[in-house]
Amino acid sequence: MDTSMLFILLQAPLYLGTLRLMVPITLPAIGEIITERSGVVNIGLEGIIMLGALASVYVGYFTGSLLLALLAGILAGVCVGILHGIISVYLGGDQIIVGVGVNVFAYGLGVITLYLSWGTFANSPLIPDSARVPDLHGISPFVVLTFMSGVTAWYLLERTSIGLRLKAVGENPKAADAAGINVFRTRFVATVIGAVFAALGGTFLGLDWLASYTRDISAGRGFIALAMVVFSKWNPILAILSGLLFGFFFALSLTIPSGIIPDQLVWSLPYAATLLVAAGFFTKTRAPAAIGKPYRRE
Amino acid sequence: MRTCDDLRNHLRPVVESSLSLLAGFLAGGIIIWAAGFNPILFYEALIAGAFGDIYSTLNTLSYSTPLILTALSFAIAARASLFNIGAEGQMYFGVLAAVSIGAFIALPSVMHQLCIITLAILLGGLWGAVAGWLRVSRGVNEVVSTIMMNFLALYLVNYLATYVFYDPLQAYKTKSILPSAELPLMVPGTDLSLAFLLSIATAMALYILLWRTPLGYEIRAVGLNPSAARYGGIDVKRTMITSMFLSGATAALAGAFEVMGRFYYTDTGLSIVRNMGFDGIAVSLVGRNHPIGIILSSIFFAMLKTGIQAVQRSTSVGGRTGVPLELGLVVQGIIIIFISIPEMLDLIRRLRGRREV
Amino acid sequence: MSEPIIRMEGIKKIYPDGTVALRGVTFEVLPGEIHGLLGENGAGKTTLMSILYGIVPLTSGRIFIKGRQVRVTSPNDAMRLGIGMVHQHFMLVPVFTALDNIILGAEPRKKGFLIDRKEAERRVMELMERVALKVDLDAPVETLPVGVRQRIEILKMLYREADILILDEPTAVLTPIEVEELFSFLRRIREEGKTVIFITHKLKEVKAITDRVTVLRKGLVVGVRRTRDVSMEELATMMIGRKLTGVEKSEEVSPREDYLRIKDLWVRNDRGGYAVKGVSFSVRSGEIFGIAGVEGNGQSELVEAICGLRPPEKGDVYIRSKRVIGLNPMELYALGLGHIPEDRHKWGIILEFSLKENAILGVHRSKRFVSRYGMLDEPRIREWTESIIKNFTVEAPGSDFPAKSLSGGNQQKLIVGRELSKEPSVVIASQPTRGLDVAATEYIRKILIRMRNKGKAVLLVSADLDEVLSLSDRVAVMYEGEFMGLVHPSEINRERIGLMMGGLRLEAIS
Repeated sequence: MDTSMLFILLQAPLYLGTLRLMVPITLPAIGEIITERSGVVNIGLEGIIMLGALASVYVGYFTGSLLLALLAGILAGVCVGILHGIISVYLGGDQIIVGVGVNVFAYGLGVITLYLSWGTFANSPLIPDSARVPDLHGISPFVVLTFMSGVTAWYLLERTSIGLRLKAVGENPKAADAAGINVFRTRFVATVIGAVFAALGGTFLGLDWLASYTRDISAGRGFIALAMVVFSKWNPILAILSGLLFGFFFALSLTIPSGIIPDQLVWSLPYAATLLVAAGFFTKTRAPAAIGKPYRRE
Repeated sequence: MRTCDDLRNHLRPVVESSLSLLAGFLAGGIIIWAAGFNPILFYEALIAGAFGDIYSTLNTLSYSTPLILTALSFAIAARASLFNIGAEGQMYFGVLAAVSIGAFIALPSVMHQLCIITLAILLGGLWGAVAGWLRVSRGVNEVVSTIMMNFLALYLVNYLATYVFYDPLQAYKTKSILPSAELPLMVPGTDLSLAFLLSIATAMALYILLWRTPLGYEIRAVGLNPSAARYGGIDVKRTMITSMFLSGATAALAGAFEVMGRFYYTDTGLSIVRNMGFDGIAVSLVGRNHPIGIILSSIFFAMLKTGIQAVQRSTSVGGRTGVPLELGLVVQGIIIIFISIPEMLDLIRRLRGRREV
Repeated sequence: MSEPIIRMEGIKKIYPDGTVALRGVTFEVLPGEIHGLLGENGAGKTTLMSILYGIVPLTSGRIFIKGRQVRVTSPNDAMRLGIGMVHQHFMLVPVFTALDNIILGAEPRKKGFLIDRKEAERRVMELMERVALKVDLDAPVETLPVGVRQRIEILKMLYREADILILDEPTAVLTPIEVEELFSFLRRIREEGKTVIFITHKLKEVKAITDRVTVLRKGLVVGVRRTRDVSMEELATMMIGRKLTGVEKSEEVSPREDYLRIKDLWVRNDRGGYAVKGVSFSVRSGEIFGIAGVEGNGQSELVEAICGLRPPEKGDVYIRSKRVIGLNPMELYALGLGHIPEDRHKWGIILEFSLKENAILGVHRSKRFVSRYGMLDEPRIREWTESIIKNFTVEAPGSDFPAKSLSGGNQQKLIVGRELSKEPSVVIASQPTRGLDVAATEYIRKILIRMRNKGKAVLLVSADLDEVLSLSDRVAVMYEGEFMGLVHPSEINRERIGLMMGGLRLEAIS
């Protein structure tokens, strides 16, 4: 067993698998970090991943155009982001409830679309090659996009005035308001951006990895992304690292012949680790102070 | 004048819930229409399918059983202002209790059922209480912790079902529970088991607990105004943990009853109960976190399920054999989204006012 | 005399709930002066300045800045006009560094969107140099003491080139040395030609730092004086007024034993500082012991500590000779404590609960209301509630209606009724008539006197000096967590009470 483990650890597929598995959890996590830093929680990531995948696969399948398919995926994210933003930011609605609703809705819509468009309940046929995302030197451009997004998001939050204002809104909206910052607009935009990232995660699944839509396409990745946000302490760079870590374990569980380590244990790791981190057992974490609270001017 | 206002205040949640339901139905109708069916005929068939005869009605009630319980689970935490989205995971422990004691320990009937129920309450309750404890003593938001714990529960129970309680003859499922552990059917030929009555009884018990006992008084006080609760000598932290225990225990009953009264085993992936914990959130929100409202809205959501199944079988609606059961989820999702909008009536009034100006 | 830099004319403010905060105030500030705005709580000082700063919309009136009529509808407008305000509760982001807090919303940039922190630091350093106000720019604000946070707030305003600076009770959070530093800083920026509006209720400070002072009382200006032409006694009289409401106290009851005894009690506030600093006193049966003082001087924390809502740091509390430190409120009620809390919506009542449910808050586990099977005893609760409604003339549609369907006065009567129906031996009444109309106020005052006459020990905490003086047998004046003196209301004049409320000790003024 020792030698076989070693053998697995030396294989390239494990590491390529890590890169591929990290993308659909890390992109949504990065987006959610931006959203949450502004004080809004979107637990509808799972649903947005599905809708992003669904829209891109649908358009890709019927038009054969990669560009249109990508745009469709992004548009799905924009739409949900706007919906979530209007309800939770401008109307002061309950952020958690909206997110739950989006998740339920998206799953249902996915299956219905599968059935109505392709007559199946399980998975769509493959999209035409013309709509698939081509690999660059054997690596998906989405991998590059993920790394770049993380770095850019970090740069945005830590180095730009937009980032400073966004964080101020998430920490103390009253103070931000008193400093002349538009709390509502900032949160709204952050919510839409976060949703687009989640949709991009779905687009990767639909146009790149699977090249099709399956009913359980998201498979809990939206929730893993939520866990990663806490695990990486709301830092996009750490989100990349935790994406690599979680991706590695998932890749390992796929590579190791079953029976050596129970899969359930590997799958549990991100959630258990996040729970422990959130409870402050390893390091101190702190969520943005105003997270989840609708802002109302007196 | 005052009574008139008061009546309006009481009706308000009912009207808002109804508006959300209406919105869900309308959106569902659009999808049905887009799919090439006549929405009106479709809904007619759906309602007929759910309540058309005694058997379909009883089946609808049967499907409402787990929803009543998971919704009560959400509601009892919500009454203490806790957002427990962990009914899903807490429910799995009920499944675990049922298949472990039910299939592997021989006991006389009644005793057998009671043992399962007790273990389900303990496991589910403790799993919920952990989230409560994390909230009050470690400051972990219960939304975060229960999401994580749902997955942990899934993998834990999945592991035990796969490696410990599996059926050697059919590895995809656990061994079936012994007849002595089954909840008997109330009407042969339907799915309606004693579980339905037990879930109604649970709703009544929780109603009494919440509105007739000091503990329920404390839970509601903590949920509405924690400062005033403290002023009233209530231990806010302990009350929150208690309400999470009750919440988890109620959710676990849903899982246990589904095994004891319907399937008698679980597949190792727990697909027999999957998502019913989440369904409970919508049911409870529409039922305004009130036991009576929950019973009604459970029946409504169960109607979506059995009704759509019936439409799938019927040929009168359209050329095709039917639409997926998941149409119900689309409708449910839209209902939840509408429920999240605060003071919807005021909003509509304001929008109307603006147009008139 | 030069043209006023600020002129607020006929300012009226009525809040949506009908509270009248300002009844037509005209307020003028001259350029380059430090102008005191003096008044008790609720006089309208903060409201007036919040209107000037664009946080609170005015109901009617006009504002002129530098001779030009302006509309100020947001802090942005105010800042554009050169007005900066340092709020009593600081508007800072705790996790940000001092530098980021100062530049927030007005960051110097390079390449369009990047923050030029070097440039920012240079500018802020230069500013700190100029006004001789130093802070560690790299430290997160949450690690800094309040005094430093205030400096950051001031720097934030000066960084935005405010030339009119409003400070709302700025010394409330400062140590005496810091107060001195603040004052000399204010004098320096006055030399630079800046204008300062200084909101306070402390007479000594008015005398120490201001050039002129406007005194507000109950939403009206009672006078504008040059500070050097007015004595503290005169200011105290202006601030407090002479209105006395007639409450006859009937017969003298000779006080007997100590029902409530407080020994060297130290209590911390939410920010970790001491709000109550070694207070000792006792309240005897058959007397009303009043605590006067401007709000925020530790009265709330004192009451919370006595009533089991805030663990004291050290010291003792005895109810009828029994040490009660560490007991929870329910246990205290069982020992004979009744507590009419200061903020009824926060503590005293659950608006969504029915009158019945509110009527048993705190005694809901007592045998009286729990039947044998562990159920709440409906008929008894109803009977209890209806007797409260009847005995305390609560105007209510019925005991099943939610508390929010009652008017404020009737909600308070319900609370008072609940607390007094518990047959307490010690009654703590904190701001018991705040926000009530005249009839309800009179009623509650009468009830408190009735309690005294029935031989209960009543501790009355109120920011309304008339109330304290007319009801109490003995009065302590509280200032910054300490008693400035203990007096009999009949033996002291109002000026001296006013001076004590402003921080002078009884020994120092007699």
